[in-house]
Amino acid sequence: MPAPAISVDLLEKYFPPALTGWRALIQPLARPTEMALAGVSFTVEQGESVALIGSNGAGKSTLLRILATLIVPTHGHATLGGFDVEREAAEARRQFGYHTGGDEGFYSRLSARQNLLFFAAMNNLSPAESRKRIASMAESVGIQDDDLDRQVRTFSTGMMHRLGLARALLHSPVILLLDEPTRSLDPLAASDLRRLLRDDLVRARGTTLLFASHTLSEVEEIADRVVLLDAGRVIACDSPRGLCASTNTSAFAAAVSSLVRHSESAEATP
Amino acid sequence: MNLASNLRKVAAFFWRDFAIARGYRGALLLETIEALFGVATFYYLSRFVQSPELSSELPAGANYFAFALVGFAFFDYLSVSLSAFDASLEEARQNRTLEALLVTQTPLPIILAGSAVYPFVALAVRTCVYLAWGVLLFGFAPRSANWLGAVAILLASILAFAGLGILSAGYSILFKRGNPAKWIVLGLSGLLGGMMYPVSVLPAPLQVLARLIPVTYSLEGMRGALLAGAGWRELFPSIAALLLFAMILIPLSFAVFAWALRRTKITGTLTHI
Repeated sequence: MPAPAISVDLLEKYFPPALTGWRALIQPLARPTEMALAGVSFTVEQGESVALIGSNGAGKSTLLRILATLIVPTHGHATLGGFDVEREAAEARRQFGYHTGGDEGFYSRLSARQNLLFFAAMNNLSPAESRKRIASMAESVGIQDDDLDRQVRTFSTGMMHRLGLARALLHSPVILLLDEPTRSLDPLAASDLRRLLRDDLVRARGTTLLFASHTLSEVEEIADRVVLLDAGRVIACDSPRGLCASTNTSAFAAAVSSLVRHSESAEATP
Repeated sequence: MNLASNLRKVAAFFWRDFAIARGYRGALLLETIEALFGVATFYYLSRFVQSPELSSELPAGANYFAFALVGFAFFDYLSVSLSAFDASLEEARQNRTLEALLVTQTPLPIILAGSAVYPFVALAVRTCVYLAWGVLLFGFAPRSANWLGAVAILLASILAFAGLGILSAGYSILFKRGNPAKWIVLGLSGLLGGMMYPVSVLPAPLQVLARLIPVTYSLEGMRGALLAGAGWRELFPSIAALLLFAMILIPLSFAVFAWALRRTKITGTLTHI
Protein backbone atom coordinates (compact mmCIF):
# COMPACT_ATOMS: atom_id res chain seq x y z
CA MET A 1 0.00 0.00 0.00
CA PRO A 2 1.52 3.37 -0.95
CA ALA A 3 2.40 5.84 1.78
CA PRO A 4 -0.24 8.49 2.44
CA ALA A 5 0.21 11.78 0.59
CA ILE A 6 -0.59 13.72 3.75
CA SER A 7 -0.13 12.47 7.26
CA VAL A 8 -1.13 14.49 10.31
CA ASP A 9 -0.18 12.97 13.63
CA LEU A 10 -1.34 14.36 17.00
CA LEU A 11 -0.90 17.89 15.77
CA GLU A 12 -1.26 20.63 18.38
CA LYS A 13 -1.02 24.34 17.88
CA TYR A 14 -1.16 27.04 20.52
CA PHE A 15 -0.91 30.76 19.80
CA PRO A 16 0.10 33.44 22.27
CA PRO A 17 -2.75 35.65 23.50
CA ALA A 18 -2.95 39.07 21.83
CA LEU A 19 -1.30 41.55 24.20
CA THR A 20 -2.27 45.18 24.22
CA GLY A 21 -0.79 48.46 25.50
CA TRP A 22 2.83 48.36 26.64
CA ARG A 23 2.66 44.58 26.97
CA ALA A 24 2.38 44.41 23.19
CA LEU A 25 6.14 45.10 23.15
CA ILE A 26 6.76 41.59 24.47
CA GLN A 27 4.19 39.99 22.12
CA PRO A 28 6.84 38.17 20.04
CA LEU A 29 8.13 36.52 23.21
CA ALA A 30 4.73 35.73 24.74
CA ARG A 31 4.04 32.12 25.69
CA PRO A 32 1.60 30.34 23.38
CA THR A 33 -1.38 29.45 25.54
CA GLU A 34 -4.40 29.79 23.25
CA MET A 35 -5.31 26.42 21.80
CA ALA A 36 -6.08 26.25 18.06
CA LEU A 37 -5.50 22.55 17.38
CA ALA A 38 -5.63 19.85 20.02
CA GLY A 39 -4.12 16.58 18.85
CA VAL A 40 -5.43 16.37 15.29
CA SER A 41 -4.63 13.15 13.43
CA PHE A 42 -5.69 11.91 10.00
CA THR A 43 -4.21 10.82 6.70
CA VAL A 44 -5.02 11.61 3.09
CA GLU A 45 -4.20 8.93 0.52
CA GLN A 46 -2.62 9.71 -2.83
CA GLY A 47 -5.18 10.94 -5.33
CA GLU A 48 -7.81 11.38 -2.64
CA SER A 49 -9.89 14.50 -2.14
CA VAL A 50 -10.51 15.41 1.49
CA ALA A 51 -12.46 18.36 2.84
CA LEU A 52 -11.82 20.12 6.14
CA ILE A 53 -15.06 21.44 7.54
CA GLY A 54 -16.07 23.09 10.79
CA SER A 55 -17.27 26.38 12.15
CA ASN A 56 -15.17 29.55 12.17
CA GLY A 57 -12.23 29.10 14.54
CA ALA A 58 -12.40 25.31 14.37
CA GLY A 59 -8.77 25.17 13.20
CA LYS A 60 -9.11 24.54 9.44
CA SER A 61 -6.95 27.43 8.25
CA THR A 62 -4.40 26.87 11.02
CA LEU A 63 -4.06 23.26 9.94
CA LEU A 64 -3.63 24.22 6.29
CA ARG A 65 -1.08 26.90 7.20
CA ILE A 66 0.95 24.36 9.19
CA LEU A 67 0.89 21.99 6.21
CA ALA A 68 1.90 24.89 3.95
CA THR A 69 4.93 25.49 6.23
CA LEU A 70 3.76 29.02 7.07
CA ILE A 71 3.55 28.32 10.79
CA VAL A 72 5.07 25.59 12.94
CA PRO A 73 3.12 23.21 15.17
CA THR A 74 3.53 23.34 18.94
CA HIS A 75 3.52 19.55 19.20
CA GLY A 76 3.00 16.62 16.86
CA HIS A 77 4.05 16.05 13.27
CA ALA A 78 2.74 16.40 9.76
CA THR A 79 4.22 15.14 6.53
CA LEU A 80 3.54 15.91 2.89
CA GLY A 81 4.77 13.26 0.46
CA GLY A 82 6.75 11.81 3.34
CA PHE A 83 8.53 15.07 4.21
CA ASP A 84 8.10 16.61 7.64
CA VAL A 85 6.65 20.10 7.23
CA GLU A 86 8.79 21.46 10.04
CA ARG A 87 12.13 19.69 9.75
CA GLU A 88 12.10 19.20 5.96
CA ALA A 89 10.12 22.27 4.98
CA ALA A 90 12.02 22.91 1.73
CA GLU A 91 11.35 19.37 0.46
CA ALA A 92 7.75 19.52 1.65
CA ARG A 93 7.23 22.75 -0.34
CA ARG A 94 8.07 20.90 -3.57
CA GLN A 95 5.12 18.60 -2.97
CA PHE A 96 2.26 21.05 -2.72
CA GLY A 97 0.53 24.02 -4.27
CA TYR A 98 -1.33 26.36 -1.90
CA HIS A 99 -4.10 28.78 -2.63
CA THR A 100 -6.46 30.66 -0.38
CA GLY A 101 -9.72 32.06 -1.65
CA GLY A 102 -9.38 35.14 0.52
CA ASP A 103 -6.02 36.49 -0.59
CA GLU A 104 -5.17 37.83 -3.99
CA GLY A 105 -1.44 37.99 -3.42
CA PHE A 106 -0.44 39.27 -6.85
CA TYR A 107 1.47 42.29 -8.10
CA SER A 108 -1.40 44.36 -9.38
CA ARG A 109 0.67 46.50 -11.78
CA LEU A 110 2.10 43.44 -13.52
CA SER A 111 0.26 41.36 -16.07
CA ALA A 112 -0.99 37.90 -15.18
CA ARG A 113 1.77 36.43 -17.33
CA GLN A 114 4.47 38.51 -15.61
CA ASN A 115 3.12 37.42 -12.24
CA LEU A 116 3.09 33.76 -13.21
CA LEU A 117 6.59 33.97 -14.73
CA PHE A 118 7.87 35.45 -11.50
CA PHE A 119 6.30 32.77 -9.31
CA ALA A 120 7.43 30.06 -11.73
CA ALA A 121 11.02 31.27 -11.28
CA MET A 122 10.49 31.10 -7.51
CA ASN A 123 9.54 27.45 -8.01
CA ASN A 124 12.72 26.65 -9.92
CA LEU A 125 11.14 26.47 -13.38
CA SER A 126 13.33 27.61 -16.26
CA PRO A 127 11.95 30.43 -18.44
CA ALA A 128 11.17 28.00 -21.29
CA GLU A 129 9.43 25.54 -18.98
CA SER A 130 7.58 28.41 -17.33
CA ARG A 131 6.12 29.66 -20.61
CA LYS A 132 4.90 26.18 -21.51
CA ARG A 133 3.41 25.57 -18.07
CA ILE A 134 1.75 28.99 -17.98
CA ALA A 135 0.07 28.40 -21.32
CA SER A 136 -1.16 24.97 -20.28
CA MET A 137 -2.26 26.02 -16.77
CA ALA A 138 -4.06 29.10 -18.06
CA GLU A 139 -6.01 26.91 -20.45
CA SER A 140 -6.79 24.40 -17.70
CA VAL A 141 -8.19 27.03 -15.34
CA GLY A 142 -10.02 28.89 -18.08
CA ILE A 143 -7.89 32.01 -18.58
CA GLN A 144 -7.71 33.17 -22.20
CA ASP A 145 -4.28 33.85 -23.67
CA ASP A 146 -5.19 37.54 -24.21
CA ASP A 147 -6.13 37.89 -20.56
CA LEU A 148 -2.69 36.73 -19.52
CA ASP A 149 -1.30 40.01 -20.81
CA ARG A 150 -3.72 42.18 -18.86
CA GLN A 151 -2.65 43.85 -15.64
CA VAL A 152 -3.92 41.85 -12.69
CA ARG A 153 -5.60 44.91 -11.20
CA THR A 154 -8.17 44.71 -14.02
CA PHE A 155 -9.17 41.14 -13.12
CA SER A 156 -12.50 40.19 -11.57
CA THR A 157 -12.59 38.15 -8.37
CA GLY A 158 -13.32 35.01 -10.35
CA MET A 159 -10.38 35.60 -12.68
CA MET A 160 -8.16 36.25 -9.69
CA HIS A 161 -9.17 32.89 -8.20
CA ARG A 162 -8.37 31.15 -11.44
CA LEU A 163 -5.03 32.88 -11.55
CA GLY A 164 -4.33 31.87 -7.95
CA LEU A 165 -5.10 28.30 -8.81
CA ALA A 166 -2.90 28.45 -11.91
CA ARG A 167 -0.05 29.74 -9.74
CA ALA A 168 -0.55 26.94 -7.21
CA LEU A 169 -0.38 24.36 -10.02
CA LEU A 170 2.58 25.83 -11.96
CA HIS A 171 5.21 23.47 -10.60
CA SER A 172 2.99 20.39 -11.04
CA PRO A 173 2.53 19.65 -7.33
CA VAL A 174 1.20 16.24 -6.33
CA ILE A 175 -0.77 17.80 -3.46
CA LEU A 176 -3.07 20.79 -3.57
CA LEU A 177 -3.95 22.67 -0.36
CA LEU A 178 -6.86 25.06 -0.77
CA ASP A 179 -8.44 27.30 1.83
CA GLU A 180 -12.01 28.14 0.84
CA PRO A 181 -11.28 28.02 -2.87
CA THR A 182 -14.70 29.28 -3.97
CA ARG A 183 -15.09 32.06 -1.40
CA SER A 184 -16.68 35.18 -2.93
CA LEU A 185 -17.17 33.53 -6.32
CA ASP A 186 -20.49 33.78 -8.12
CA PRO A 187 -22.39 30.43 -8.40
CA LEU A 188 -21.37 29.85 -12.01
CA ALA A 189 -17.68 30.53 -11.41
CA ALA A 190 -17.79 28.40 -8.26
CA SER A 191 -19.36 25.55 -10.19
CA ASP A 192 -16.66 25.80 -12.90
CA LEU A 193 -13.94 25.75 -10.30
CA ARG A 194 -15.44 22.73 -8.54
CA ARG A 195 -15.61 20.88 -11.85
CA LEU A 196 -11.99 21.73 -12.54
CA LEU A 197 -10.89 20.49 -9.13
CA ARG A 198 -12.91 17.27 -9.22
CA ASP A 199 -12.66 16.22 -12.86
CA ASP A 200 -9.37 17.63 -14.09
CA LEU A 201 -7.16 17.67 -11.06
CA VAL A 202 -8.29 14.85 -8.80
CA ARG A 203 -9.82 12.37 -11.22
CA ALA A 204 -7.78 12.94 -14.40
CA ARG A 205 -4.39 13.88 -12.94
CA GLY A 206 -4.54 12.08 -9.60
CA THR A 207 -3.69 15.19 -7.61
CA THR A 208 -4.26 14.83 -3.88
CA LEU A 209 -6.61 17.55 -2.67
CA LEU A 210 -7.08 18.84 0.86
CA PHE A 211 -9.40 21.81 1.04
CA ALA A 212 -11.25 23.80 3.68
CA SER A 213 -14.78 24.87 2.92
CA HIS A 214 -17.93 26.20 4.52
CA THR A 215 -20.10 25.18 1.57
CA LEU A 216 -21.45 21.72 2.32
CA SER A 217 -22.83 21.14 -1.17
CA GLU A 218 -19.34 21.80 -2.52
CA VAL A 219 -17.88 19.33 -0.03
CA GLU A 220 -20.38 16.67 -1.07
CA GLU A 221 -19.57 17.31 -4.70
CA ILE A 222 -15.78 17.18 -4.47
CA ALA A 223 -14.71 15.32 -1.35
CA ASP A 224 -14.13 11.58 -1.04
CA ARG A 225 -13.83 12.04 2.69
CA VAL A 226 -14.51 14.77 5.22
CA VAL A 227 -12.54 15.74 8.33
CA LEU A 228 -14.94 17.53 10.66
CA LEU A 229 -13.19 19.82 13.12
CA ASP A 230 -14.67 21.42 16.18
CA ALA A 231 -12.68 23.58 18.59
CA GLY A 232 -9.39 22.22 17.28
CA ARG A 233 -10.38 18.55 17.50
CA VAL A 234 -11.37 15.99 14.87
CA ILE A 235 -14.89 14.90 15.74
CA ALA A 236 -15.50 12.83 12.61
CA CYS A 237 -13.58 11.58 9.61
CA ASP A 238 -15.50 9.66 6.98
CA SER A 239 -17.07 9.94 3.54
CA PRO A 240 -20.12 12.22 3.29
CA ARG A 241 -22.24 9.12 2.88
CA GLY A 242 -20.55 7.48 5.87
CA LEU A 243 -21.28 10.51 8.03
CA CYS A 244 -24.92 10.37 7.01
CA ALA A 245 -25.08 6.67 7.83
CA SER A 246 -23.42 7.11 11.21
CA THR A 247 -25.97 9.74 12.21
CA ASN A 248 -28.99 8.06 10.64
CA THR A 249 -29.70 11.09 8.48
CA SER A 250 -30.19 11.36 4.75
CA ALA A 251 -28.92 14.91 4.33
CA PHE A 252 -25.23 15.71 4.68
CA ALA A 253 -25.92 19.09 6.33
CA ALA A 254 -28.10 17.40 8.95
CA ALA A 255 -25.37 14.83 9.60
CA VAL A 256 -22.75 17.54 10.15
CA SER A 257 -25.06 19.51 12.37
CA SER A 258 -25.87 16.43 14.44
CA LEU A 259 -22.18 15.55 14.89
CA VAL A 260 -21.29 19.08 15.99
CA ARG A 261 -24.18 19.20 18.45
CA HIS A 262 -23.20 15.82 19.83
CA SER A 263 -19.59 16.97 20.25
CA GLU A 264 -20.66 20.16 22.02
CA SER A 265 -22.96 18.34 24.40
CA ALA A 266 -20.25 15.76 25.14
CA GLU A 267 -17.85 18.62 25.97
CA ALA A 268 -20.41 20.31 28.19
CA THR A 269 -21.02 17.11 30.17
CA PRO A 270 -18.75 17.12 33.27
CA MET B 1 19.86 24.69 -4.28
CA ASN B 2 22.40 25.56 -6.92
CA LEU B 3 23.90 28.96 -7.52
CA ALA B 4 22.47 29.33 -11.05
CA SER B 5 18.94 28.77 -9.82
CA ASN B 6 19.37 31.29 -7.00
CA LEU B 7 20.84 33.86 -9.39
CA ARG B 8 17.88 33.32 -11.71
CA LYS B 9 15.56 33.99 -8.80
CA VAL B 10 17.43 37.15 -7.83
CA ALA B 11 17.18 38.28 -11.46
CA ALA B 12 13.43 37.55 -11.40
CA PHE B 13 13.08 39.83 -8.38
CA PHE B 14 14.99 42.56 -10.21
CA TRP B 15 12.80 42.33 -13.33
CA ARG B 16 9.66 42.24 -11.20
CA ASP B 17 10.63 45.46 -9.43
CA PHE B 18 11.87 47.06 -12.62
CA ALA B 19 8.59 46.26 -14.40
CA ILE B 20 6.60 47.73 -11.51
CA ALA B 21 8.79 50.88 -11.36
CA ARG B 22 8.44 51.32 -15.13
CA GLY B 23 4.72 51.64 -14.55
CA TYR B 24 5.42 54.82 -12.61
CA ARG B 25 7.51 56.77 -15.14
CA GLY B 26 6.43 60.12 -13.70
CA ALA B 27 8.00 59.21 -10.37
CA LEU B 28 11.32 58.41 -12.09
CA LEU B 29 11.32 61.82 -13.79
CA LEU B 30 10.50 63.59 -10.52
CA GLU B 31 13.34 61.80 -8.72
CA THR B 32 15.79 63.06 -11.35
CA ILE B 33 14.57 66.61 -10.84
CA GLU B 34 14.60 66.17 -7.05
CA ALA B 35 18.27 65.16 -7.30
CA LEU B 36 18.96 68.45 -9.08
CA PHE B 37 17.37 70.38 -6.20
CA GLY B 38 19.50 68.46 -3.70
CA VAL B 39 22.73 69.10 -5.58
CA ALA B 40 21.89 72.79 -6.10
CA THR B 41 21.21 73.18 -2.37
CA PHE B 42 24.64 71.79 -1.52
CA TYR B 43 26.29 74.01 -4.12
CA TYR B 44 24.84 77.22 -2.70
CA LEU B 45 25.42 76.04 0.87
CA SER B 46 29.07 75.38 -0.02
CA ARG B 47 29.46 78.91 -1.41
CA PHE B 48 28.16 80.24 1.89
CA VAL B 49 30.27 78.10 4.22
CA GLN B 50 33.55 78.10 2.24
CA SER B 51 36.31 79.25 4.56
CA PRO B 52 40.10 78.69 4.93
CA GLU B 53 39.50 76.91 8.30
CA LEU B 54 37.05 74.48 6.75
CA SER B 55 39.22 73.87 3.71
CA SER B 56 42.10 72.75 5.90
CA GLU B 57 39.87 69.99 7.32
CA LEU B 58 38.82 68.64 3.93
CA PRO B 59 40.64 65.92 1.96
CA ALA B 60 43.42 67.24 -0.28
CA GLY B 61 42.08 68.82 -3.46
CA ALA B 62 38.43 68.88 -2.33
CA ASN B 63 36.16 71.86 -1.87
CA TYR B 64 33.15 71.79 0.43
CA PHE B 65 30.68 71.26 -2.40
CA ALA B 66 32.48 68.11 -3.59
CA PHE B 67 32.84 66.94 0.00
CA ALA B 68 29.14 67.39 0.78
CA LEU B 69 27.97 66.02 -2.57
CA VAL B 70 29.86 62.74 -2.07
CA GLY B 71 28.70 62.55 1.54
CA PHE B 72 25.08 63.15 0.62
CA ALA B 73 25.07 60.81 -2.39
CA PHE B 74 26.74 57.89 -0.62
CA PHE B 75 25.03 58.24 2.75
CA ASP B 76 21.95 57.07 0.87
CA TYR B 77 23.52 53.60 0.64
CA LEU B 78 23.18 53.31 4.40
CA SER B 79 19.57 54.55 4.31
CA VAL B 80 18.64 52.15 1.52
CA SER B 81 20.45 49.23 3.17
CA LEU B 82 18.58 49.83 6.38
CA SER B 83 15.21 50.05 4.71
CA ALA B 84 15.43 47.81 1.62
CA PHE B 85 15.07 44.50 3.42
CA ASP B 86 12.30 45.38 5.82
CA ALA B 87 10.55 47.54 3.20
CA SER B 88 10.38 44.51 0.91
CA LEU B 89 8.83 42.45 3.70
CA GLU B 90 6.42 45.24 4.57
CA GLU B 91 5.36 45.65 0.95
CA ALA B 92 4.85 41.91 0.56
CA ARG B 93 2.71 41.88 3.68
CA GLN B 94 0.70 44.85 2.45
CA ASN B 95 0.01 43.49 -1.04
CA ARG B 96 -0.49 39.98 0.40
CA THR B 97 2.21 38.38 -1.69
CA LEU B 98 4.29 37.28 1.29
CA GLU B 99 2.39 34.03 1.85
CA ALA B 100 2.48 33.28 -1.86
CA LEU B 101 6.24 33.81 -1.83
CA LEU B 102 6.83 31.81 1.32
CA VAL B 103 5.15 28.68 -0.04
CA THR B 104 7.40 28.66 -3.10
CA GLN B 105 10.68 26.79 -3.23
CA THR B 106 12.62 29.97 -2.50
CA PRO B 107 14.10 30.36 0.97
CA LEU B 108 13.56 33.63 2.80
CA PRO B 109 17.22 34.77 2.59
CA ILE B 110 16.94 34.67 -1.22
CA ILE B 111 13.60 36.51 -1.05
CA LEU B 112 15.27 39.18 1.08
CA ALA B 113 18.38 39.42 -1.07
CA GLY B 114 16.35 39.43 -4.28
CA SER B 115 14.06 42.16 -3.02
CA ALA B 116 17.04 44.37 -2.19
CA VAL B 117 18.65 44.17 -5.64
CA TYR B 118 16.43 46.69 -7.41
CA PRO B 119 16.65 49.33 -4.65
CA PHE B 120 20.46 49.11 -4.80
CA VAL B 121 20.56 49.30 -8.59
CA ALA B 122 18.13 52.22 -8.54
CA LEU B 123 20.29 53.89 -5.92
CA ALA B 124 23.40 53.41 -8.06
CA VAL B 125 21.57 55.15 -10.92
CA ARG B 126 20.45 57.91 -8.55
CA THR B 127 24.02 58.38 -7.30
CA CYS B 128 25.19 58.72 -10.91
CA VAL B 129 22.44 61.30 -11.48
CA TYR B 130 23.60 63.28 -8.44
CA LEU B 131 27.21 63.22 -9.59
CA ALA B 132 26.20 64.02 -13.18
CA TRP B 133 24.25 67.09 -12.07
CA GLY B 134 27.27 68.15 -10.03
CA VAL B 135 29.59 67.73 -13.01
CA LEU B 136 27.27 69.30 -15.60
CA LEU B 137 26.04 72.34 -13.69
CA PHE B 138 28.12 73.00 -10.59
CA GLY B 139 31.76 72.35 -11.43
CA PHE B 140 32.19 69.03 -9.61
CA ALA B 141 35.29 67.58 -11.31
CA PRO B 142 36.50 64.20 -10.04
CA ARG B 143 39.43 64.26 -12.52
CA SER B 144 41.91 62.31 -10.46
CA ALA B 145 39.34 59.80 -9.10
CA ASN B 146 40.32 56.20 -8.47
CA TRP B 147 37.11 54.71 -9.86
CA LEU B 148 38.02 51.09 -9.18
CA GLY B 149 38.86 52.03 -5.62
CA ALA B 150 35.49 53.77 -5.32
CA VAL B 151 33.72 50.62 -6.54
CA ALA B 152 35.65 48.51 -4.01
CA ILE B 153 34.67 50.89 -1.19
CA LEU B 154 31.07 50.82 -2.39
CA LEU B 155 30.87 47.01 -2.47
CA ALA B 156 32.51 46.69 0.96
CA SER B 157 30.09 49.34 2.27
CA ILE B 158 27.06 47.51 0.88
CA LEU B 159 28.19 44.30 2.58
CA ALA B 160 28.67 46.06 5.91
CA PHE B 161 25.40 47.99 5.63
CA ALA B 162 23.48 44.88 4.50
CA GLY B 163 24.23 43.29 7.88
CA LEU B 164 22.55 46.26 9.54
CA GLY B 165 19.68 46.04 7.06
CA ILE B 166 19.03 42.35 7.78
CA LEU B 167 19.10 43.09 11.53
CA SER B 168 16.54 45.78 10.86
CA ALA B 169 14.40 43.30 8.88
CA GLY B 170 14.59 40.90 11.83
CA TYR B 171 13.14 43.62 14.04
CA SER B 172 10.52 44.39 11.44
CA ILE B 173 9.16 40.85 11.12
CA LEU B 174 8.90 40.60 14.90
CA PHE B 175 7.42 44.00 15.73
CA LYS B 176 5.95 45.00 12.33
CA ARG B 177 6.16 48.78 12.72
CA GLY B 178 8.41 51.45 14.11
CA ASN B 179 12.02 50.47 14.07
CA PRO B 180 13.98 52.35 16.69
CA ALA B 181 17.19 50.52 15.80
CA LYS B 182 16.97 51.83 12.24
CA TRP B 183 16.47 55.42 13.32
CA ILE B 184 19.19 55.21 15.96
CA VAL B 185 21.69 53.87 13.42
CA LEU B 186 20.68 56.47 10.85
CA GLY B 187 20.68 59.30 13.39
CA LEU B 188 24.06 58.37 14.87
CA SER B 189 25.55 57.80 11.44
CA GLY B 190 24.27 61.18 10.22
CA LEU B 191 25.67 62.89 13.28
CA LEU B 192 28.98 61.09 13.57
CA GLY B 193 29.72 59.54 10.19
CA GLY B 194 30.93 62.67 8.41
CA MET B 195 28.14 63.15 5.89
CA MET B 196 28.08 66.96 6.01
CA TYR B 197 31.31 67.75 7.85
CA PRO B 198 34.61 65.98 8.49
CA VAL B 199 34.75 63.70 11.52
CA SER B 200 37.81 65.68 12.63
CA VAL B 201 35.65 68.67 13.63
CA LEU B 202 33.83 66.57 16.25
CA PRO B 203 34.90 66.57 19.91
CA ALA B 204 37.43 63.83 20.69
CA PRO B 205 34.97 61.44 22.45
CA LEU B 206 32.57 61.63 19.50
CA GLN B 207 35.45 60.96 17.11
CA VAL B 208 36.09 57.72 19.01
CA LEU B 209 32.40 56.81 18.66
CA ALA B 210 32.54 57.66 14.95
CA ARG B 211 35.18 54.93 14.53
CA LEU B 212 32.62 52.37 15.72
CA ILE B 213 30.17 52.91 12.86
CA PRO B 214 30.73 51.65 9.31
CA VAL B 215 29.53 54.72 7.45
CA THR B 216 32.54 56.71 8.73
CA TYR B 217 34.92 54.38 6.88
CA SER B 218 32.64 54.28 3.87
CA LEU B 219 32.54 58.06 3.42
CA GLU B 220 36.22 58.50 4.19
CA GLY B 221 37.16 55.87 1.66
CA MET B 222 34.74 57.16 -0.97
CA ARG B 223 36.00 60.74 -0.64
CA GLY B 224 39.57 59.51 -0.71
CA ALA B 225 38.92 57.55 -3.91
CA LEU B 226 36.77 60.12 -5.71
CA LEU B 227 38.17 63.45 -4.54
CA ALA B 228 41.81 62.79 -3.66
CA GLY B 229 42.45 59.91 -6.09
CA ALA B 230 43.74 57.79 -3.19
CA GLY B 231 45.56 54.59 -4.15
CA TRP B 232 44.85 51.09 -2.87
CA ARG B 233 47.37 51.44 -0.03
CA GLU B 234 45.55 54.53 1.28
CA LEU B 235 42.13 52.94 0.80
CA PHE B 236 43.09 49.69 2.50
CA PRO B 237 42.24 50.76 6.10
CA SER B 238 38.72 51.81 5.05
CA ILE B 239 38.12 48.64 3.01
CA ALA B 240 39.51 46.42 5.79
CA ALA B 241 37.36 48.12 8.43
CA LEU B 242 34.22 47.75 6.29
CA LEU B 243 34.94 44.08 5.61
CA LEU B 244 35.49 43.52 9.32
CA PHE B 245 32.09 45.07 10.02
CA ALA B 246 30.58 42.81 7.34
CA MET B 247 32.24 39.69 8.80
CA ILE B 248 30.71 40.46 12.19
CA LEU B 249 27.35 41.87 11.14
CA ILE B 250 26.30 39.47 8.38
CA PRO B 251 26.50 36.18 10.37
CA LEU B 252 25.04 37.97 13.40
CA SER B 253 22.19 39.42 11.38
CA PHE B 254 21.36 36.06 9.76
CA ALA B 255 21.31 34.38 13.18
CA VAL B 256 19.03 37.10 14.59
CA PHE B 257 16.82 36.98 11.51
CA ALA B 258 16.51 33.18 11.66
CA TRP B 259 15.50 33.41 15.31
CA ALA B 260 12.97 36.17 14.58
CA LEU B 261 11.52 34.15 11.69
CA ARG B 262 11.16 31.09 13.90
CA ARG B 263 9.38 33.17 16.53
CA THR B 264 6.88 34.51 13.99
CA LYS B 265 6.19 30.99 12.75
CA ILE B 266 5.46 30.02 16.36
CA THR B 267 3.26 33.04 17.04
CA GLY B 268 1.65 32.89 13.59
CA THR B 269 2.30 36.58 12.97
CA LEU B 270 4.64 36.40 9.98
CA THR B 271 2.10 37.78 7.57
CA HIS B 272 0.37 40.12 10.01
CA ILE B 273 0.40 43.79 9.13
